[in-house]
Amino acid sequence: MNANVEGNVPGDVSGRQPKVAVYICHCGGNISDTVDVAAVAAAMAQYPGVAIAREYPFMCSSGGQDLILDDIAKLGVERVVVAACAPSLHELTFRGVLQRAGINPYLYEHVNIREQVSWVHKADHDGATAKAIRLVQAGVEKVLRQAPLSALHAPANRRVAVIGGGPAGLKAALCLAAKGHEAVIIEKAPWLGGKLRDLGKVFPTGAEASETLRKLEELVAAEKRITVHTRAEIDSISGFVGNFTITFNTPDGSSQVTAGAVIVATGFEHYRPHPGEFGYGQAAHVITLPELISLLKDSPPRRLEHHGKEIKSLAMIHCVGSRQVEGVHQPQADGKVNDYCSRVCCSAALYTINRLKDKYPHVRIYDIYRDIRSYGMQHEGYYERASKHGVLFFRHTETDQPIVESSERGHTVKVKDVLTWNEEMEMQVDLLVLVTGMMPSDTKRLTSQLKLSVGADRFLQEVHPKLRPVEMAIEGVFVAGAAQAPMDMTEAIAAGAAAAAKAAILLSEPEIPLKPFVAVVDESRCTGCGDCLAECSYQGTLVMAEVNGRTVAQVNPALCKGCGACVAVCPTRAINVAGWTLDQFEAMVEAIAKA
Amino acid sequence: MQVHPELLDELKQYGTFDISACFNCGNCTAVCRLAQTDASFPRRLIRCGQTGLQDSIQTTVNPWLCYYCGECSETCPRQASPAEYMMALRRYLIGQYDITGISKLFFRNSWVQSILTVAMLIALFAGFMSYVGDFGKLAAMLEVFFPVYVSVVIVLYLFQIYRYVIIKPLGQLAFSIRPRHFYEALYHGFTQINFTRCEKADLWRWRSHWLVMSGYVITLLLSNLHLLEPLHRQYTPFAPVSLLIWYAGLSVTVGGGLMLLRRVRKSSESSKHSHPSDWLFVTALFLIGLTVLATHIANVAFGPESAILGVLYKLNIAIETTWIVIVVPFSKWIHIFFRPLAIYLHHTLREVQQGTAFTLKIGQRQGSSVA
Repeated sequence: MNANVEGNVPGDVSGRQPKVAVYICHCGGNISDTVDVAAVAAAMAQYPGVAIAREYPFMCSSGGQDLILDDIAKLGVERVVVAACAPSLHELTFRGVLQRAGINPYLYEHVNIREQVSWVHKADHDGATAKAIRLVQAGVEKVLRQAPLSALHAPANRRVAVIGGGPAGLKAALCLAAKGHEAVIIEKAPWLGGKLRDLGKVFPTGAEASETLRKLEELVAAEKRITVHTRAEIDSISGFVGNFTITFNTPDGSSQVTAGAVIVATGFEHYRPHPGEFGYGQAAHVITLPELISLLKDSPPRRLEHHGKEIKSLAMIHCVGSRQVEGVHQPQADGKVNDYCSRVCCSAALYTINRLKDKYPHVRIYDIYRDIRSYGMQHEGYYERASKHGVLFFRHTETDQPIVESSERGHTVKVKDVLTWNEEMEMQVDLLVLVTGMMPSDTKRLTSQLKLSVGADRFLQEVHPKLRPVEMAIEGVFVAGAAQAPMDMTEAIAAGAAAAAKAAILLSEPEIPLKPFVAVVDESRCTGCGDCLAECSYQGTLVMAEVNGRTVAQVNPALCKGCGACVAVCPTRAINVAGWTLDQFEAMVEAIAKA
Repeated sequence: MQVHPELLDELKQYGTFDISACFNCGNCTAVCRLAQTDASFPRRLIRCGQTGLQDSIQTTVNPWLCYYCGECSETCPRQASPAEYMMALRRYLIGQYDITGISKLFFRNSWVQSILTVAMLIALFAGFMSYVGDFGKLAAMLEVFFPVYVSVVIVLYLFQIYRYVIIKPLGQLAFSIRPRHFYEALYHGFTQINFTRCEKADLWRWRSHWLVMSGYVITLLLSNLHLLEPLHRQYTPFAPVSLLIWYAGLSVTVGGGLMLLRRVRKSSESSKHSHPSDWLFVTALFLIGLTVLATHIANVAFGPESAILGVLYKLNIAIETTWIVIVVPFSKWIHIFFRPLAIYLHHTLREVQQGTAFTLKIGQRQGSSVA
């Protein structure tokens, strides 16, 4: 166990029966219209161990909270059960009341009789009332066996490690520095900027990518709180929230950085077409969209050239390496096809087409797509401009892929065009451009060492796409930019700022409060079999240690998620999750079943 | 099928539309009254134009069924002006059917026709004014020339449209021999009743067309049958011929005037985009009606010898000659024959599909068409 983290105080449930107060909330009719709250209160008043049972219109109101405070002060109530809404709404409210009254806030049980009773049993008032009584009884049994827990605190290292120095990582570091945090950028490449270095003008501003990057680099260089390590390969990463240790190798040798939080901004790789995919790598004048963008960067005016050949016509094929279909496309090394949409490529292709048309209006452009997704602010305008530029669009289905025949004179592209009632349309072009998608950078070492979730698309997976979009399930680890999903630069930068804000909030206090609901080992019962260790998903949480000459399991509460997997496999009931012990569960089941 | 995007560049010379902007949503088809059973009109022709399926466009009769109610253009979310595109297709097709290539030249070089017309009109009027012989006899000779000339033009055109629509794609002759189809074609040709079928029936448009059509046919008959000799004879106001003249002159003037007004005011979709040939067409019609009326009024009021009648009549004949020679064969005038014929050919094609048409093999040629 880490010396800096306090352990749980063992509970005191023996000896004298504590005084329990029960409160039944009406929720302004939400509950009392269906549940006979007076009957519940009356039943609970008779229940063994209950000192007082009351009902009240709104327990969460200050009147309701004062009621609890009064009873604690005047009647000597020691444990509290409130039967009301879902605990996600007001459990913390009532724990706060206990804390204000000077009682351990975990000697509290919240029973949900709204979502789980009144709202779902509107037609059966008697049944609802009976169910409410059983649930509250279970709550009383649980709180009677509740140990007074204390919240754990992990000391917070205010430094943040940012892995990856692309736009998302740079923005995250800048935001953190602005908040007074030290930020360490660990970048694999010899330079900062990631894929931004290869781009020309970028949408939606039309700014030169090199200029944007130069500004970001200047800001980073001017910021004393930011340290940059380039050519740095991560060797190992370990630790837990507030206290991570990252070792990495640079040409100068191995270095180590400690940090309170980690922002993973490892970015993406362009999809590389398989050799021969639409002739790529085999026929001349077949390139990818990033290659076309590089080509346009310093192409002479008036004459578009590729390897000495003048390009008078070109065809773009969308969704190369994206939205792949099993059985139609060749799978990647892991045996899976890229079935996700890379989102950014449509807008990027249309934007590039417009730039090309502005510079070379005579170049004939054919755009072959399955679906066009121009999802960004005003990106639809790129499509509209392209079509008004005379770009000819063809749409195919997922199974009818375009067919390319290449010869010395150029490419013949055949596409079964949905827009021309499935006729096979044929066009001759000088250049073929494959609109390639994004794949995540290789993050295997990070994901295996930190136990990070990875989606079916191999990108890092956040806790919740809308509610917790930049947090990983491992506390203290955040994700920013295209490591998470295909995104354009504006989105990546926004994600970088969001991750920085979340990390700054986490590290704002010297100590990070942790939930006390973690596994606790009763060393007297532990036989040291190690089953729990095998079952635990969070590396480093459980270790076997010698205590008084016996080998027993030990828990690092900062790493434990309280999932209970170890509890389920322990043959001697030596492990419990604090606040949710097996004894408590058994008593609750007993209370529900016996009536 | 080979894509020919350059065809669209050519088509754009025939009208003010932007079907490049079309994203194939099909709203035009949804609102079009012609697309009741076939869910492809006008979207299909738009796609043919975008991708340059030349064969499909050259062999279609569909543009002639469209009466430019303009609802597709009003509904189009991309302001691609599909109705104007259909108008442009009609101009393009006239250019294709015209073996002389003059229509093509006129349509694509917008003001050439107008300049030539004005020049010819001035030259003819000056020539007539300096003519010392009996102008009545000269006019009579010209009036014999008109129907011959126009008949040749019409026969050539009708053969061409038949060649493009039936012979080229089918490789055979095909006819519908159902009397109903002949009757329908004639009925539509005379009444242009399809105008009134458009959802937002624009009755004034149909009325002005009807006035012009009926008045113009009477004028043609009067002159071609040589029923009118204003320099040789005085007419009474209520003589049968006079009554016909009053009607014809007034109809053409009012109808032509209404058309002119609509284009000036851009009062509907169909009059928003005026090609120079449209201005020429309605202006000429209006002037024909006006001079026919004026000539007859002068004859009735002042007698065949009056000097003012002489001038007016020479002006009238100069306008009509110019009209017949330069405007009629190379403008939308020919629509009045194409529209009924298109209805007939449309039925014929249906019957070919159903195998009930009367056909005559003339070769193994087999084209392809998707429109």
